[in-house]
Amino acid sequence: FRFKDSLAEELQRADLVISHAGAGSCLETLEKGKPLVVVINEKLMDNHQLELAKRLHRDGHVLYCTCSNLVETLQAMDFSTLKPFPPGQPEKFALFLDKVVGLQ
Amino acid sequence: TGGHTTEILRLLSCLSESYSPRHYVFADSDKMSEAKILAFEQKRAEKFSKSQFTLDRIPRSREVRQSWTSSVVTTLYSILYSLPLIYKLKPDLILCNGPGTCVPVCLSALLLGLLGIKRAIIVYVESICRVETLSLSGKILYYFSDYFIVQWPDLKEKYSKSVYLGRMV
Repeated sequence: FRFKDSLAEELQRADLVISHAGAGSCLETLEKGKPLVVVINEKLMDNHQLELAKRLHRDGHVLYCTCSNLVETLQAMDFSTLKPFPPGQPEKFALFLDKVVGLQ
Repeated sequence: TGGHTTEILRLLSCLSESYSPRHYVFADSDKMSEAKILAFEQKRAEKFSKSQFTLDRIPRSREVRQSWTSSVVTTLYSILYSLPLIYKLKPDLILCNGPGTCVPVCLSALLLGLLGIKRAIIVYVESICRVETLSLSGKILYYFSDYFIVQWPDLKEKYSKSVYLGRMV
């Protein structure tokens, strides 16, 4: 398929996700607790996509490779080394905002 | 646009009923945000009795990687639309998270504040994608926002006036 409104169903059924470094794709996958391999396309990417992928990799949440070493990465992959990704907390934003506007 | 809309809707997810009415402003070229916003507001209407919101479009202020000089021109063009819109809406609070659209909106609000017409509190939340560097909108609004929130500690270190609350989306 080209574009779907949501990949939530496919994600739910997947055992492994191989994705580009887009934030939406990475975060949605990690939130569903699926193992993720992020593929960086150095030719296409602008640096800012790389920042999040690098950080997630540094924190031990994803595996990470380029198009050229994808095969080796998949062959050698060991997901037991990956750490679970805690969800973001929008409640913190709500609390902060309540103080800002004087609701607290 | 897409990712920004998803993020900001997540940020809005825990806000109380006091934050009403909500006025969503997005780029005219954006095809997907409207559906996401409507879905969000529909869910919200199930929880809270009434859901007051509006949708407004302004010309897109900047394409990805558009040159600096032409961006100034296109942003000024967007301000021609955002200024009457913000004057009409007179918001108390502006929440934005980095798409080019937020620059003309915030600059319009600042102008109205300077003219003594309406002073809005501007809260900027940098996208979760920004771990080490700020977006262009962020670099601009770091100086013009009332509260500038970042979601990664590296940015808090680099930008001392920013607020770090941890990862929120």
